[in-house]
Amino acid sequence: MRRFLVLLVKEEKALFSSPIAYVLIAMFLLIMGYSFTLALFISHAMTLVHLFLQIFVLFLLTVPIMTMRLIAEERKLRTMEVLLTSPVTETQIVLAKFVASMSIIVLMLILSGAYTVVLAIYGDPDWGPIFSGYFGLVLLAAALVGVGLLASSLTNNQIIAALLSLSAFLLLWIIDEYGYLLPDPFDSLVVNMSLSVHFKPFATGSMYLSDVAFYLSAAMLSLFLSVRALAWR
Amino acid sequence: MSTPVVDVQNLVKWYGPRLAVRDVSFSVAQGEVVGLLGPNGSGKSTIFRILTGYLVATSGFVAVAGNDATTQSLALRHEVGYVPEDAPLYDHMRVNEFLQFMAQLKGLFARSSTRAVGTVAERLQLTEVAGVPIGKLSRGYRQRVAIGQALLNDPKLLIFDEPTSGLDPNQVIAIRDLIRELAGARTVLMASHVLPEVEQIASRVMILLEGKLLTSDALALAADGQRLRLQVAGPEHLVHEAVAAVPGVRSVVVQPDSGVGDRQYLVETDQRSDVAQHLAAALVGRGLALSELVAVRPDLERIFLQLTRRPREEAA
Repeated sequence: MRRFLVLLVKEEKALFSSPIAYVLIAMFLLIMGYSFTLALFISHAMTLVHLFLQIFVLFLLTVPIMTMRLIAEERKLRTMEVLLTSPVTETQIVLAKFVASMSIIVLMLILSGAYTVVLAIYGDPDWGPIFSGYFGLVLLAAALVGVGLLASSLTNNQIIAALLSLSAFLLLWIIDEYGYLLPDPFDSLVVNMSLSVHFKPFATGSMYLSDVAFYLSAAMLSLFLSVRALAWR
Repeated sequence: MSTPVVDVQNLVKWYGPRLAVRDVSFSVAQGEVVGLLGPNGSGKSTIFRILTGYLVATSGFVAVAGNDATTQSLALRHEVGYVPEDAPLYDHMRVNEFLQFMAQLKGLFARSSTRAVGTVAERLQLTEVAGVPIGKLSRGYRQRVAIGQALLNDPKLLIFDEPTSGLDPNQVIAIRDLIRELAGARTVLMASHVLPEVEQIASRVMILLEGKLLTSDALALAADGQRLRLQVAGPEHLVHEAVAAVPGVRSVVVQPDSGVGDRQYLVETDQRSDVAQHLAAALVGRGLALSELVAVRPDLERIFLQLTRRPREEAA
């Protein structure tokens, strides 16, 4: 546990000492601020549904940038050799990178909590969908970061890692559109692989165990595969 | 006999279709300083990476300080201090921060980590650059930092992979002296393709070619004879006569650059402990002034060329 914490601190420092984290957070807040303000003025609705759906898309686009360097860079610079010849396990390394990346996302979501404060000051929002929306976003982010880490563990090239995870996310975003065209039982199989199909209920205030299990199993499977990819040398 | 610090039996490593290490076996005893010599791509780094737990052997047995590399990899890594080639380090970290990080990874926490970092920084003269980001250090200092992290938990085995690669001559001398100094109390394995470097540091030399261990003691190969260097004043023919008459002498030649006064001679003899004594007596007995008589270390270059040529010629 102690070594995991040492690795986690190192990852947090690496993330927050590079400009990427700050640029991502600033870009996220700028776009979300614009979107929130516009939605509020147009619809006058005490809801964050639109915001959650936009954060969903923004995560698909930004997580690959956040995760591309995590393992690929360490492999390319051979610092992974320094880590893995020390008494630490591949699981500790992967989990430290995962938790550090999740901390940026959680920070983004905490900062976006300013919008809920605005809603609470000027109206009486329905808190159920807000909580479920944030919960869904954390689960979605866990799955995306897991897949991003896996992509980064498969190559030494950061750009290839980013393109791999971005392609996977875009495919899993729109896969339900094509799934409906397939014959039974493939239609439900493909539709259930869709990231958006499992996210929409969270955004609108419904929480299903199947959606929670989908994101959690995607995160765990990709983390397991990342550990295996790192151990395969 | 005590357990060797390094025990390698029938080690084989395949990289996909390429055979990188072919059935290599050797052992290293406590306190030995062993050089692993071989051209680039001969499998030195692969063997080291297996010894440090970074790579997994395709087959064979590898143990360091009694820890099996396959089943006790974490325990093995506690016992090994590894300095990889070209010192891969975290450039964004400051020297002190990096050493603290590595100390904690190696299981040293709180006061013991601070103490270990302080001792290492002082020993390797890193104190003055403790606050400097590693990315801004010279290659010599980077190498010192890499050596420093390997020493933090006082491991039983130190492994240096091409420790002077890319350094300027002053830095090369400094790093060589450092390794020699460190070798005093520890078991050291060092890879290099620079013959004089290995010759100067190691007490035993292994030669590797195309993944195959050609000899686990190249210096012993020269043990079928010994070479002595003499410095004698007097007529050359008298010296030749006196030396040639000593039992066990095979040949004597004048060193070409030994000047016109006291001349230097290189004498090849059988491996007998009393030859030097008889030589001295023979020269002095004939009234020749002997001012130097030293044993010359075996010529590693000659052995290396002989060994590495042979398999290639056989293949041709």
